[in-house]
Amino acid sequence: MTDFVTCTYGSRVLTIEKGTHISEILSPEHKTGHICGGKGTCKKCRVLAFGEISAPTETETSCFSAEELADGLRLACQTKVMGDCRIEASENGVAQICTEGTLPDFLWTPVFEQFGAAVDIGTTTLVVSLYDKTRLLATASASNPQSIFGADVMSRVQASLEGKKAELAVLLRKAVSTLLTECAATAGVLVTDIDRVAIAGNTAMLYFLTERDASCLSRAPFVADHLFGEWVSGASLSLPCAAANVYLAPCVSAFVGADATLALLSSGLCEKEETALLCDIGTNGEMALWHKGDLFCCSTAAGPAFEGAGLSCGMRGEMGAIDKVWAENGRMGIHVIGETAPRGICGGGAVDAIAYLLQTEKLDETGCLEDDPYFFAKDVFLTGEDVRNIQLAKGAIFAGIKTLMRATDICTDELAHLYIAGGFGLYLSLKNAQTIGLLPKIEKEKVCLLGNGALMGAALILLDSSAEKRVKAISQTAKTIELAGSPIFREAYIDAMFFTGET
Amino acid sequence: MRVLTEISELLQKGKAKDVKALVQQALDEGIPAQDILEQGLLAGMSVIGKKFKNNEIYVPEVLVAARAMKMGSQVLAPMIAEAGVEPLGCVIIGTVQGDLHDIGKNLVKMMFEGKGFSVVDLGVDVAPETFVEAAIEHDAQIICLSALLTTTMGVMGDVVKAVEAAGLRDKVKIMIGGAPVTEAFCAQIGADKYTVDAASAADAAKDMMMN
Repeated sequence: MTDFVTCTYGSRVLTIEKGTHISEILSPEHKTGHICGGKGTCKKCRVLAFGEISAPTETETSCFSAEELADGLRLACQTKVMGDCRIEASENGVAQICTEGTLPDFLWTPVFEQFGAAVDIGTTTLVVSLYDKTRLLATASASNPQSIFGADVMSRVQASLEGKKAELAVLLRKAVSTLLTECAATAGVLVTDIDRVAIAGNTAMLYFLTERDASCLSRAPFVADHLFGEWVSGASLSLPCAAANVYLAPCVSAFVGADATLALLSSGLCEKEETALLCDIGTNGEMALWHKGDLFCCSTAAGPAFEGAGLSCGMRGEMGAIDKVWAENGRMGIHVIGETAPRGICGGGAVDAIAYLLQTEKLDETGCLEDDPYFFAKDVFLTGEDVRNIQLAKGAIFAGIKTLMRATDICTDELAHLYIAGGFGLYLSLKNAQTIGLLPKIEKEKVCLLGNGALMGAALILLDSSAEKRVKAISQTAKTIELAGSPIFREAYIDAMFFTGET
Repeated sequence: MRVLTEISELLQKGKAKDVKALVQQALDEGIPAQDILEQGLLAGMSVIGKKFKNNEIYVPEVLVAARAMKMGSQVLAPMIAEAGVEPLGCVIIGTVQGDLHDIGKNLVKMMFEGKGFSVVDLGVDVAPETFVEAAIEHDAQIICLSALLTTTMGVMGDVVKAVEAAGLRDKVKIMIGGAPVTEAFCAQIGADKYTVDAASAADAAKDMMMN
């Protein structure tokens, strides 16, 4: 008799035969690494696997450090599924745009007739995932074309006020339409057969998409005059699935948008009794703290340092980026994505680099770099100014977290869970993030990586008939704490700017 | 005096609590408040200002030094007020209406105080007419405007107009700053001076007062 086990792979739940190699269940887009044909020699089929899986083979122990193995890093062709487990595709370490994520346990009750599309409109990137009633069919992503009006949200709000409102809407609608069409084509279905769409995005992005007047988002008191949470027609947004019902997920306030409420939904945080913190780290950091029925949220501008931009040698987590730095027998070790010659350093690599410099006392707690610039490879270095940018970014994130904790009067020890959303979080060394003082010191077992939480939340709206009610409740419960001008934040920001770790 | 040098050094390191304790100790030793301010706190801030301008240190260090300065000067405030020291001039400072960011503004304020100005801080989200009223009330020579958002910097122009409308334009200099602000923008709205950072702002203000 054959034993069957349950395996969660990305957003899917699979029932498979016990003893199956992970490589056999990977979707085509993740199979690109199987150059050696499963012999374990090319080491390209890296995945993250957790739960009941076979012990590491000799091949795996030779190619991963003990710490990497403890982090869940495995080779798909070497690892067998032995029982209930969870797998995340790692695509050689880093995906350029995070299109993956983890869904909580839920009752599979799709709200669409034929096909549903989950859409995440990020400030920098757009992602669309297409589902039928049983599974994920296709995913497509692109850059947000509005970046021609500026990388940050405020420049685009200004552009909108200066008469570019219609243009901003058209750019976004066209880009989303293209991705919907692309997904439908990949899946071999008609785009007009998509009957439900759920859209995630920060408050400003939803304003731009629906061509609303964004004046209220431009200045204090920053009170959004509309918070969404309604169904509109595909035609009203000029989408190719004109007859589809489109859900614009609810926002909390001008700075805490539907991306945050949906990430919260996908974390399942508000269904738990325990105190939990959610951090979505990107160009903007969004943080939410759930404590005894209260949900406090805040948003802080962190700048693009963690996205690889804004650093002298910064780059996205793609081929040629240094994504890991560590100390080994008194020497420096680096890992380069794609095992090629290093071209730059990505956000996760920069966090490791700072931690390395601190551990080896080449950087002091005030951020003074002994050798400026410090080289990690021939043409890849960090300068004193890069260190400052990282200090400002991590200071803002950590101070936001501290402000939330002060609002609820709790300390780090009381946090039962820490959810990390966003692509950067997936490939971040938790230990190093804590060493440099980006995240609070909380045990690894309490940390859960969500991936693209906003996209997963949008998918939940389509796949779980009770999700809409839950996200509405989240948006109504959540209270926004304004950080600009908050004396608590200001003090915490100054404290958090140093590399002393948590104080 | 040893203790004053120590205050200056601790201030530069941002050790706020130690600065506060040492300022108290200096007072207990009978050192005049004015000397503690000038040779201790302001001397330290002056070093910070110079290093900041030369890119030797950055915003984080200035912020912590400023916080130490504040803790130290709070101890001295009553004695200084009693002594009735004549300030270099009076400056009205605030973040313009619609904008809530104050970290940069607070830095500028610290730098001005470090140069010996008396500074009236109107806080954040300050309406143009409030700047005008404060300038009249305190007979100020300079108004300093801060904005961090592209969407709020336009309000700086409204303040210039409000100052003109109140007939104060030739009595008050208007200085502006903030991440999105530029020299060209300064000229466009008819303000008097733009500087890239807090230390340069204080230097420029001092020059204006001297001439």
